[in-house]
Amino acid sequence: MNHMLRRQLPFVLLAIFLVVFGMVAPQNVVDIGVYALIYGLAAIGLSLLMGLAGQVSLGHAAFIAVGAYTQAVLVSKANLPFILAAPISVVAAMIVALIVGLPLLRLRGHFLALATLGLGIIIGVIVTESEFLGSTSGIYGLPNISFGGRAYDSAQEYFMLLTPFVVIGLWLAVNIVKSRTGRALSAVNDSETAAECLGVDTFALRLRVFVLSAGYAGLAGVFYAHWLTIVNPSVTHFEVSVKILLMVVLGGLGTVWGALIGAVAVQALDEGLRALVPILIPSAKGEVQLIGFGVILVMVIILMPGGLAQLWQRLRSRFGPAGASRLGQHEHEITQEEQRELLDKSLGILARTDHEPVGTTILEINGLTKRYGGVTALDDLNLDIKAGEIVALIGPNGAGKTTAFNMITGVLPPTEGSVKIHGKEVAGQLPHVAAALGATRTFQNLQTFKSTTVLGNVKVARHLRSKAGLLRGMFMLDRAEERHIETTAQAAVDAMALTPLADHPIADLAFGKQRQVEVARALALEPSLLLLDEPMAGLSGPERDSLSWLLRKVKATGVTIVLVEHDVAAVMALADRVAVLDDGKLISLGTPAEVTNDPVVIAAYLGTDDDAEASPKDRVTTQGGAQ
Amino acid sequence: MTDLLQLVFAGLAQGAVYGLVALGFVAIFAVREIVNLVQGEYAALAGLAAISAVGAGLPLLVAIIVVVPLVVGVAVLIERITIAPIKKMTPLTSIILTLGVSTAVKALMLLIWGPEAKGLPNFPGSDIVLGGVSIRSQELWVLGIAAIVGYAVIWFYEHTVRGKSLRACAEQPIAARLVGISPRTATVVAFAIAGFVGAVAGVVGSPIYLSSWTSGLTMGLKGFVAATLGGLTSLRVAMLGGLALGILENLVAGYLSSGYRDAVAFVVLVLVLLFKPHGLAGKSSGVRV
Repeated sequence: MNHMLRRQLPFVLLAIFLVVFGMVAPQNVVDIGVYALIYGLAAIGLSLLMGLAGQVSLGHAAFIAVGAYTQAVLVSKANLPFILAAPISVVAAMIVALIVGLPLLRLRGHFLALATLGLGIIIGVIVTESEFLGSTSGIYGLPNISFGGRAYDSAQEYFMLLTPFVVIGLWLAVNIVKSRTGRALSAVNDSETAAECLGVDTFALRLRVFVLSAGYAGLAGVFYAHWLTIVNPSVTHFEVSVKILLMVVLGGLGTVWGALIGAVAVQALDEGLRALVPILIPSAKGEVQLIGFGVILVMVIILMPGGLAQLWQRLRSRFGPAGASRLGQHEHEITQEEQRELLDKSLGILARTDHEPVGTTILEINGLTKRYGGVTALDDLNLDIKAGEIVALIGPNGAGKTTAFNMITGVLPPTEGSVKIHGKEVAGQLPHVAAALGATRTFQNLQTFKSTTVLGNVKVARHLRSKAGLLRGMFMLDRAEERHIETTAQAAVDAMALTPLADHPIADLAFGKQRQVEVARALALEPSLLLLDEPMAGLSGPERDSLSWLLRKVKATGVTIVLVEHDVAAVMALADRVAVLDDGKLISLGTPAEVTNDPVVIAAYLGTDDDAEASPKDRVTTQGGAQ
Repeated sequence: MTDLLQLVFAGLAQGAVYGLVALGFVAIFAVREIVNLVQGEYAALAGLAAISAVGAGLPLLVAIIVVVPLVVGVAVLIERITIAPIKKMTPLTSIILTLGVSTAVKALMLLIWGPEAKGLPNFPGSDIVLGGVSIRSQELWVLGIAAIVGYAVIWFYEHTVRGKSLRACAEQPIAARLVGISPRTATVVAFAIAGFVGAVAGVVGSPIYLSSWTSGLTMGLKGFVAATLGGLTSLRVAMLGGLALGILENLVAGYLSSGYRDAVAFVVLVLVLLFKPHGLAGKSSGVRV
């Protein structure tokens, strides 16, 4: 509880600061403050979009404009009171975002950015052309806001009115970043594939954040309209969008607080440049402040990509207490006994009881094929996996093992063929579909979430086993669920004997340890089908033994395991069945004993040269070692 | 019918300018996967600089010969100063960065040339009337020069070893380095080409469409829309896309309202992204974008 109170403290301090500032600061400074808070609201929203969804809107002014114009129409034409009109205006901005985001957020990269830039222009054209919206002169004569017998008509009064909205808006945004949605989207930014394989529906979450961010802009538009008492096409202009973007970038990408700090800095810069440039260059007129915006935007990206937040971090680490040195602490290892105890306890927490009865077909692969141009990476794979068995996929490098994994889990769409998990077709669907059916995986080339800790990585895997949405997260109604996520994620960490490393940034861990985190992460999802891509690589001998032991235990709880592995000795000891791939084709399938004696397998591994000395096992291990 | 032909022809000329700008987007995207939002500014800058040169007494041809290489130099210089130092270029960074540069360039143009739009004098020649359609000689210049420059750029990228190797840089940077193509050179060449087509678009278009500190924004965006029609990778489709966009805009302006001209491009953009995100000629399956 103490921790929760500490989390609220900065907001209380901010509120006190703003109130005092509004009371004591001189009129012209408060004037700037009013604009900083109005644009700050929009910047907080854009910061959520950029930090969480990893997307940028270059036309955020469009959403401010929708909010402002809707408010102006409702208040001055329909005579609605402020209180009624404001929520409608905010929702209007959100609806526009929904319409734009629905098609565009499925695409990655630069598309949303340019489409929003286009949206800004379209909205500008519409408001300029529409006589109903007053064409170029806009809608004027909006009333000042007044309620509770108090008119908010001076800068001081308006600043006081804005303060609670900004503080609460910031509080909600920070809560989102720390919520289940924030965690999932931050994972997406680190590794979209891994997050999707843990069941994160990237598109759905991004769309929600985009719509919410437009809501913040819409609210900014409402306050903009009432403060200026006029709304005209200038609110849609490109300069406004650039300004809000600069606020977020200068404050620090991904930090919501930074957006507010950035808003203050940029608004002050704006006013300063408008005053200064005409003094330096007497002929200058128009939007002269843009020169500063452009130059600072470029300089921040090149010299200080983390913005003011990065500067603040640097100052704190220089003058603050030295952070505990992270490395070298992993040394105290957990003994095998301890680990086995921990594992039993963890499985008690994590093991689901609703697995399908042993022997039913859980994964059906039919005619699965992947071609790249003329190259066939996987050719007509047919394989049924039964509940409760361990199946190993082996074969030389390039045999198509990982390609098969990628298609089963939805990371790659197959060229042909079908993949059914629990009887449901998943081929060609995104990875979160397979994950929702209980199938998850680890990766040959690590796909960890680098910006968080070991425990943070594992918590993402609880995404499908928890359900707090954006709203619950915003209003902190997710506390009980968050505690449960914490407990279960900790259990998965314990199961892999990673307890002493739980709070370490994952990037500090050795390769083999990161691989174990991936296994812990997969276990935390409580999968019914677990696909492990070379889980033994980079592990020491004892660690491999522990992992084999653990996988048997996991299997005993009813989980089906498919693994790609080069350590043939380990595979033969562990697997119930072995499938051998060579050159994209399944050449042998059977018990470990059957496969090792299959002449086709021997030929594939050794070539047909009878004089070859190495045994299949040696050859395969060398292959694995060469990776 | 004459009206329609008139609108189509005017649109063709305007579209040729968009097509040239679109080539600039593709020239860079094909090599570095960067959407260069400065692209439109090259055109605005070339137009304004040429107007000043003519104003200073230079003959039109000399002004153009001086200004175009100058803008190419500016394009390369900006790349060296802003793009080159970034080690890890993500789409987000490249967009913010090039937006910042474009904002700064716009503001500089505002400070130097002021807010008013100006036009270069027409290139020599007299207007003609063909079957009732009046054709401005400048429009013929635009089409002719765009055809030559466009063809040259496409030929360079598709038929010369050097041009093909530029694309190889985007697809296989390490392999390209192994066979002796440095990504640094490739980037510089790409930006030079983008600066060149932008500058040409700026000077040939200026007499009709005028140049101002803000003209780069809309021109850049429309060029981008045209480039998107080609999935940002096809030079041919980008050029044709520019022409189609120009015609469509003029039809909308002629038959609906000239105010809606600027909205056309973005409606097209949203529709293309909705139905054919990989471009009109691109395949819609395979690796996800």
